[in-house]
Order: sequence, then C-alpha cells, then structure tokens
Amino acid sequence: MDWSHLFVMFVTFVLINNVILNQFLGMCPFMGVSKKSSSALGMGLAVTFVIVAASLVTYGLYYVVLVPLKLEYMDLITFILVIAALVQLVEMIIKKSSPSLYKALGVYLPLITTNCVVLNVTLNNIINEFTFSEMLVYSTAIPLGFTLVIYIFSTIRERLEACETLPSWKGNPIALIVAGIMALAFSGLLGLV
Amino acid sequence: MLTAFVMMLVLGAILGLGLGIADKFLSVEADERVEKVTSMLPNYNCGSCGYAGCSGLAEALVNGEVTVVGTCRPSKPDVKQAIADYLNNTPGPDGNCCKVKP
Repeated sequence: MDWSHLFVMFVTFVLINNVILNQFLGMCPFMGVSKKSSSALGMGLAVTFVIVAASLVTYGLYYVVLVPLKLEYMDLITFILVIAALVQLVEMIIKKSSPSLYKALGVYLPLITTNCVVLNVTLNNIINEFTFSEMLVYSTAIPLGFTLVIYIFSTIRERLEACETLPSWKGNPIALIVAGIMALAFSGLLGLV
Repeated sequence: MLTAFVMMLVLGAILGLGLGIADKFLSVEADERVEKVTSMLPNYNCGSCGYAGCSGLAEALVNGEVTVVGTCRPSKPDVKQAIADYLNNTPGPDGNCCKVKP
C-alpha cells in the first residue's frame, strides 16, 4: 500500500480541494446551520457519518451487485435510495440520543438527503475508479473538510453577531462575504502539494 | 430490464425492512396531542403561521408557544373551535391542559 499517496490525497481533499470552499458543494447547510458552533459541529458529524456509511454501502453495492448484473447505469438511482435510507437512520438515532441537537439541526437534518456532497462522494468513488483504500481516504477526507470549514465559519459568525456591521449587511449578507474571504484564504493553500 | 426491476425491488425491501427494525428500537415517546392537532389542522403546510409546516404549529400550540389557534389562517372557524376545545380539555403527560383561544 502506498501510504504517501493516500496521505497526499487526504490533505488534498481536506484542505486544498475543500468541498465547500473550492468545489462549492453543500452550501445549504453551510449557510443554514452555521449560526451556532455546537450545531455546526453536530451537522458536520452527521454528514461525516452519512458519507462514510453511504460510501461503504454504495461502493460494495456497485462492485458486488451492479457490475455483475451489468446494471452500471442504475448507479445514480440506487445510490440515492441508499443515501435516503441512511439519512432516515441518522435522523432516528439523533432524535433518540440528542433531542436538543435534533431541534438545532431542524429541517437541515432530513435535507442531508439532498446534500450534493453525499451524492458527489459516492459517485466520485465510482467515476474516479478508486481502490478500496483510496475510497476510504476520500470519503473521510471530504466530510472532515466539510466539518472543519463549517466549524471555523460558525465560530466567525458567532463573533460577527457581537460586531457592529452596517444594518443592511447584518446576518446573511456579511456571512456570504465572510465565506468568500474564507474561500480566498483557502485558495492560498493551493501550493501545498 | 427485468433484473433492474428486481434489483430495485430487493434493495428497497431490504432498506425498508432495516428502517422498520431501526424504528422499533429507536422509537421516541411523542406527545400524542401533537399528532392529533396536526391531523386536525388543514395540512396545507402553507407556512403562513410562521412555522415550517402544520406539525410545527401543532407542536407550538401544545408547548404553549402559541396560544391562539387563529394563527393558522386557512383553517375554518369550526375547526379552530374544535382544536381549542380539544387542547383545553385534554391533559398532557404532565397532567396540565393547554389554555388556547380559537
């Protein structure tokens, strides 16, 4: 196994090809659940769990069921089915274990189903013809990058609440500008690898 | 073509069964009044009450966040009265009734 290749891949997908700031996927929870750092962290963990589980299941499903049956063209619809079921499961688990987090995430929890990051990761695993270890690294690096950025962003937004801004910029407009500046800052990491 | 249908059917059945079992283990005790009020509301999910849907308003009514059923604009006057009567006369798990106006 080529560890250095996997490590480079990990760093690339956490920091450089960051799923939010570089690929602009998953903007809905990024703007919606980033008002409080605790709920942002909860969202990040929920997305991480869904992505890792969905990647494992869909990767197995694709190579064990779809390829032998020559049903490769069915990948999109089966993956959506698996993701929807997994999100339901996560919703049940969070509702049972942490009602306060369930309330804080609100409508954004079932919306993980339509979060393009999840489908993006599962489809990219197939399109890029990743090996099993590459798939594992990819499907943990992407949600970790997501969690990292949404957490940093939520801490900035908590500070912003206390700052004086132009009345017309208060709330979402200033948050969008901050997101843009964060994307600029992260683009500085391009020369890392 | 047929294999695709069968595959989707089997996959759906497996996932549905899994979720059904998970629901048994992870079910949460819910206040039955919320469900009852939700079914009495028009269920347009129009959002004119300020909540995301009818279930949101039903929960707010039961919690006491909202005390006027008239917050739901599309519902008919007799339905509003029925919901108010139901909530004023049905005690919750803690034994207290809500005080709401139609």
